[in-house]
This record gives sequence, C-alpha cells and structure tokens, in this order.
Amino acid sequence: MSVRRAASRVVGTLVSLGMVAVLGFFLFRVLPGDPVLTLTRGRPVTPGEVARLRHEFGLDRPLVTQFVDYAASLLRGDLGRSYFYDQPVARLIAERVGPTLLLTGAALVLSVSLGVWLGQWAGWRRGSAFDRAATAAAVVGWSVPAFWLGLLLLMAFGGPLPTGGMVTPGSDASGAALAWDVARHLVLPALTLAAVQFAQYTLTMRASVLGELGEGYLTTARAKGLPEDGVRARHVLPNALLPTVTLVFLMLGQVIGGAIAVESVFSWPGLGYLAYQALSAPDLPLLQGTFLVFSATAVVSNALADVVYRLIDPRLRGT
Amino acid sequence: MSTTTVRRLAALAAAILVTLASLAGVPARAAEASVLRIAIVAQIDTLNPFKTALLPSINVNRMQFESLVESGLQNEPVGGFADRWETSPDGRTWTFTVPDGRVWSDGQPATADDAAWTLNQIMTKPELATANGTLVANVASAVARDPRTLVITTKAPQATNPGIDIPIVPRHVWENRDAAHYLDDVTEPVVGSGPFVVTKLDKGQSLELAANPRFWRGAPRAAGLRWVWYKNMDAAVQGLRTGEIDLVSGLTNAQFDALSGVPGVTTSAGAGRRYIGLTANPGMASSANQPMGNGNPALRDPAVRRAVFLAIDNATIVERVLGCRAKPGVTQIPTVYPAYFGLPAGASPRTFDPDEAGRLMDAAGYRRGADGVRVDKASGRPLTLRLLGRNSSPDLARIGEYVRSWLERVGVRTTVQIVSDAKTDQDSAVGNYDLLLTGWAVGPDPDFQLSINQCSSRPNTDGSGRLSEVGFCDAEFDRLFAAQHAELDAAHRADLVKRAFGRLYDANVLDVLYYPDQLEAYRSDRWNDFQRQPTGTGPITGQNSYWGLYSATPRDAAGAEGTPGASAAPGAGPASDAVSGASIAGILVTVALAGGAIYLVRRRRSADERE
Repeated sequence: MSVRRAASRVVGTLVSLGMVAVLGFFLFRVLPGDPVLTLTRGRPVTPGEVARLRHEFGLDRPLVTQFVDYAASLLRGDLGRSYFYDQPVARLIAERVGPTLLLTGAALVLSVSLGVWLGQWAGWRRGSAFDRAATAAAVVGWSVPAFWLGLLLLMAFGGPLPTGGMVTPGSDASGAALAWDVARHLVLPALTLAAVQFAQYTLTMRASVLGELGEGYLTTARAKGLPEDGVRARHVLPNALLPTVTLVFLMLGQVIGGAIAVESVFSWPGLGYLAYQALSAPDLPLLQGTFLVFSATAVVSNALADVVYRLIDPRLRGT
Repeated sequence: MSTTTVRRLAALAAAILVTLASLAGVPARAAEASVLRIAIVAQIDTLNPFKTALLPSINVNRMQFESLVESGLQNEPVGGFADRWETSPDGRTWTFTVPDGRVWSDGQPATADDAAWTLNQIMTKPELATANGTLVANVASAVARDPRTLVITTKAPQATNPGIDIPIVPRHVWENRDAAHYLDDVTEPVVGSGPFVVTKLDKGQSLELAANPRFWRGAPRAAGLRWVWYKNMDAAVQGLRTGEIDLVSGLTNAQFDALSGVPGVTTSAGAGRRYIGLTANPGMASSANQPMGNGNPALRDPAVRRAVFLAIDNATIVERVLGCRAKPGVTQIPTVYPAYFGLPAGASPRTFDPDEAGRLMDAAGYRRGADGVRVDKASGRPLTLRLLGRNSSPDLARIGEYVRSWLERVGVRTTVQIVSDAKTDQDSAVGNYDLLLTGWAVGPDPDFQLSINQCSSRPNTDGSGRLSEVGFCDAEFDRLFAAQHAELDAAHRADLVKRAFGRLYDANVLDVLYYPDQLEAYRSDRWNDFQRQPTGTGPITGQNSYWGLYSATPRDAAGAEGTPGASAAPGAGPASDAVSGASIAGILVTVALAGGAIYLVRRRRSADERE
C-alpha cells in the first residue's frame, strides 16, 4: 500500500470517528427520558435537589454549549462522568472491556475454527450427507435466538457449570486456578455465542470452496499427481480463505458490542450490558462513551480488513 | 450419511461432552456455610452513603450504617445509632441520646459528634445532599451538645422523626476523604456501625460484607453476606436450584411456582410495602394553575373517573394476574403499616360495579354509539382513552389488557401503551396520558406520600420543579396534610392521615389496585430464622431496616443452627483448591478421546487416499 493511500485511509478513519462522536452526542439527546427523573424516581427529592442535579450534569445549559464542552473534553481524552454510577466513563469502560474481549474473542476463535472446518469439507464434498448436515446445522444456528439458546444451555448445564458471572464470587484464586475458574464460567456463554455465529463462516467458506472447484489450476495440481487431500489443503483452501478472512476482520468490529444478549443471560460483566443499561436511564455520558468505543472498533476493523486483504491477496497489491 | 462422517461426528460430539463433563467435574467453590449468598438483579449506583440514589444501594448501606432511629419489626421507630429521643412540646426540638459504649466497627467510639457532623455535611454541602438532602430540608441546626447528646432543631414543627433513614457515618474516616468524589474503592473494610460492613466489591460480579462483631445488638449469626449479580432472574432461579446462591427476591409468579416443592428450597410471599394503582388524569395543571398535558377532557369529570374505576375488577387482577399473591388495594398506604392503612371511619369503599359504571357514563352524557362504543360528547367521535404503563414489569402489560376489556364492556375504547420506564416518566411528568399504571414503595411514615399530593407539589408546565403523584389539588387535603405534619399525638395523626388519603380516594383520581407480595425463595437446607418485617408476614429482604439478613441463621450439616458470628464451615475451601482428581481424570479422558478422534479421522483419510 502506498504511503499516500495509507495516509488517505488514516484520514478517512479519523473523519469517521469525528462524525461518530458528533452523531453520538445528538442521537442520544433525542431519546425519550429524563436522566434526573430516572435517578430520583420513587424517593423523596426537593425541587432544589432536582435543579442541582440538572446543573451538575450540565443539562440546564443550551445544547450547543453542552456539545462544545463535550467536544473539548473528548479532545482532552475525557469521556465524562456517568450520571448513574457517578464515576468516570473511561474507568467504567476499562473495567468491562476485558471480560467482553475474552468472551467474544473466545467465541470468535471457536466459531471461525468450526465454521471454516465445516465449510471447507461441506464445499469439498458438495451434495454429500456431511454437506447437508453441516449446512442444516449452520442454518439452524443462524436462526436460533442467542437469548433462547443461552437459557436452554443454562437450564441443561447450569449447576455442573456456573450459572453466571466470570469468576466464582468470593474466590481469591489466582494464577492457574483463576484461569481454570474463568474457563469454567466461559464455557456456556462462549458456546452459545459461537453456536449462533459459526454459520456465516461455514456458508461463506463453503461457497468459496465451490467457487474454486471448477478452476483450471486444480486440474494442473491433480495432473502433477497430488493426492486429493493435498489439492484441497494446498490449493483450494488458501484461495477459498480470502473472503472468510475479510469476514473475520469485518466481524471484529462487532466483537465488542455484539454480545449483549449472551452477557445478559450468563451475567457476564461486559461492555454490552453496560451500554444497554445506560440506554434505559438514559445515562448520556456513558452512552456516548460506549457508542464511541463500539463505533471506533468497527471503523478501525474495517480499515484493518482493507489492509489485511491487500496483504494476503497478491492481486490487490499496488492498487 | 457415510460411516466416516458418522464416526467423525460421533467423535466430535463425544469430545465436546467429555470436555463439558470434565469442566463440570470441578466442584463449584465449596460454599462457606455461614456466608449468606443473595442474588441481585438490579444495579447499585454507588455505596457512597451521601450519594446513593437507588434502592438496592440504600439496602446495602442499611447493613453498614445505622440511622439515629431504625424501623422496628412492626415498622415502628426503635433505637438505632441513638437509643432514645425526646420531642419538645412545640415539635421543633428533637434531642437524641447516643448511649455509652457504642463503637464503630474499627473500635473507635461512636458519638453524637459523628451524627452532628454527618447531618451538617448534608445540610451545608449541596454535592453531599444527593441521597438525603430532602430529609434535612426542614432541619435548621444539628448540634452535638456533648458526646452523648444530639439536638436537632427544625425550621417548622414536624411529626416525622428527623432521625429516620439518614445513615450516620464515622467522622474520623469521612472527614479525611473527598466524599463528593468517593469511588467505591474498597481497599480495606468499610468502617460502619451496622451488623455488616463491606469488605470487597467486584463491580458487576459480587459484593462482600463481613459480620461486624462490635454491632451493639450482638454479632450476626451469619459470618457475612455476599450479593451475587445476575443479569436476568431466570439465571438467578437456576443458581438457587443448584445451590450457587441462598436467597432470591423479586420472583415472578411463574418463577415462584416453579421453585415451590424444590427440595431444600422454601418459597416465601411476604406482604410488601408497594402499591400498584391506576391514575386517571384529572386534567393536570401546573403549580401556577396553567393547564398542562394532553389528557382526555372527559376525565376531568369526576363521575367519568369514578365510572372507569367502578368498571375495573381489582379482585380478578389479584387472583388472575398475581395468583392471589397480593392484598387488595385501598389507599396508597399498604397493609404493612396498619396505623395508617385503610379509609377513614364512615367512608364507603368503591366496589366493582360495571352496571353502575354504565349508568354514570350515561348520566354524564356519554351515550353508546351504534357500535357499542360511547361517543365523546365534545368531539362526536368514539370515546377512546390511552392507558400508559411501564414495560419493566410483565404484570402491567397483563393488567392493561384486563383493563382494556373491562372498559370495553362499559363502552369505552382503550389503547394500551406499554413503553419504557424513561418514556413513561417523561410522559407522566407533563401529563401526557389519560390512564396511567403507577406504583410507589411506601415508607413507614406517610408524610412524604401525602406531601406529593399537595397543590404546591404540582410541577411546572414542562415537568420540571416539584413532584406530584397524580396531579391532585384540593384545599381540604392541603389543610389535613399540614395538620398531620405537625401533629405529635400518634392516634390523632393517624386519623388525619386517613382523612387526607380519603379525600384523594373520593376524588377518583387514583385507584389503588393492590399491594403486591414480595416473592422470595431461599435454601432452607442451609438457612433459617429470617426475621420478617412485619413479624411473621413481611418479606426477608427490602425491609425498612436490617432485620431479615441480620437474623439469618446458618444450619450446619446436621441441621443444627450455627453460632453467632461463626466462620466458614469445616471443609469449605477456596476455588483455588478445587481442581479435584475427578476433573484431572476428566481432562485426561478428554485428551485421550480427542487424540483418538483425530487418529480415526486421519486413519480413514489415509485409507481413502490409498483407495
């Protein structure tokens, strides 16, 4: 990739992020609900206290002034302070981004591994019973709501496996014992997420393999005396993987925010649920902060997909 | 399907199952038998006692910071941080006595100076008034006359004890800290005066409290409390079934029924302190008497509002929606506060009477059209009312459907709008509704619930300013409110309170449908002796004080009760010790099976290639 093109991509990414920040600010201002009313609901409050909270949150100032303050804080790296938790938004996000990355990362590895494996064999043996079974499994997985599947797994395996959380409450475990404890808590949510995600990799991989089967270079490979397994592994697979790799990088953008339902079922202390809760208040600084993080991940992932695709596909180099 | 495929899938399935089995083979952290584990679904905002706004946080702080006065087992005022108090004849001077020997959990003396300092922080620093500013709004001064004596002077006489519900914090800890920006960083046990103190907070995962051995009533029988966060109640129910937690509160009827009969689990429906009601918009006006909102003008007629309420069968709601786990509603004061519950002497309660509702509508000039729907006499169009309710409670949606069908029978069309809490709050604050399903948790003193129904409590036209429960305004009600507010004679005050609520009842603005029971379940094979508030009939959690959790008593393996302040049961070990021989065997079997599966696949593949 030329320097000019790289610079243009970086500028484009920064512009996108700026627009996301502006959009996030105004988008959440039109949501129904008054954060102060939500915070003071059902308990004795004086009008003075309500007015003081409005002033503390800056909600008594004109919208333009609020936006200027927000933009200035953002440029200083300050995401603001949550109305609900009365804590810095950056701190709240930092506390939860790790668990979310662990869950969605584990599910991504599982779903990509399973999806690619099933997809390549389904395509390679098109029309076979394995192909039909793999395709059917993928469609079922894609169709099943994550929330429903999660609850089902919870009822079936909850007990032998933990029913919620990321670590055993009250545990002082560290090192390998802690890793084992987290692994046990991770099994059901990661399986649930992987089960509803692997379909897209399976179907993409299968279609790619089918697209490669008619290519002339396969005849050449076979003519050279390569066994069928070698033809598949050394010739079909590398070419068929290209669209899947792109898909993986595009999906990376959804990794951070895409697990709200599963986090909710398995009480996983992640970012998705934090954003969902912020929405119900509405906790505007927290909403803006999480929206920015989700959007930034998507924008950066797209840029990364663009770069990686050029690296792994020689035909695109120099364009 | 070919033999190879079947073999591969079987190997894969076996590997997954054995992996799950091996993971499951690791026993969950053996429960410390005397730490009570409670599921929590709601979030806490902060544990800073100056800033807690949400009920779950307030309930946690009730465990660690006593108020001057606590709510007793019958919700009566009893000693807390102070053991006695006196009121001057004019109701303006309250003198509290903090007894000798009281200490904080760190052993430092607890004195009247701590109480005076706490109150003055709230009164003089707006940023510390978030949680309890309203409770000191009428306080002119709070002075520690000596280490044992606190004198609170109020601006105007008040019957409500000013020592209730304000958590007193240790001055020697909090004066060295930036209380306005305290971030719940629990690096060492919190210093408190209640039965438990917070020792650890894992955000979004668990909150640990340890027993306070210096608690003046005696150390609790539980060694500690652990709130475990769940993000949905079904998972919490499963956690109770499997023994991961000991106590769940806030169950739905279906969950309550599902847990009934589960071995080792006892369900409990305790009389709650909330009411659920239906408000009819009487034509809201601001505090300056400016009309506000878009309520249907038909409801400005008290006869129409009465007809709407007479058409609703509260008993059926209690029976069909709540499964009889609720008490029929009368006024905003639930049955757990018997001194103020019910209508004043001589009042006649509304009863379900659709025929009378129809007659009232006819008399009011709303005749049925050809399609059976009454015609709005002002617009000539079918009379249609909007019913607004929150989507956070599944019960409200069902009630909405019942109300719609009952009103249809008397010729009133209803559109049910079950929306988010935020949207409900926004619309109800400015009067943009016709009928509204509402509800409040009511405290032991009726003063606040009455205060939000004064004419002066009505908001500004944009919803800002004061808070009104139902947009009510009545001069006689205001007079009764003022009278009870300053009445120190308990019996006379109770009469005034009932008469005030009676005015609101007769105005047909709010129909209190029911007082829901608090549905809970606990592991009775591990715990018992939960003290209810009120005694015998109330709930275990969500009380106005700490009794339920303070009294929780662990059973040992033989079913005998534990000793106060007991520590973990013998044999209980941390999770770090939990990698058992069974689990190691499971892992080895998994590895062996996975290896076997790979071998089979490769062997078959080689055979294919040879062919």
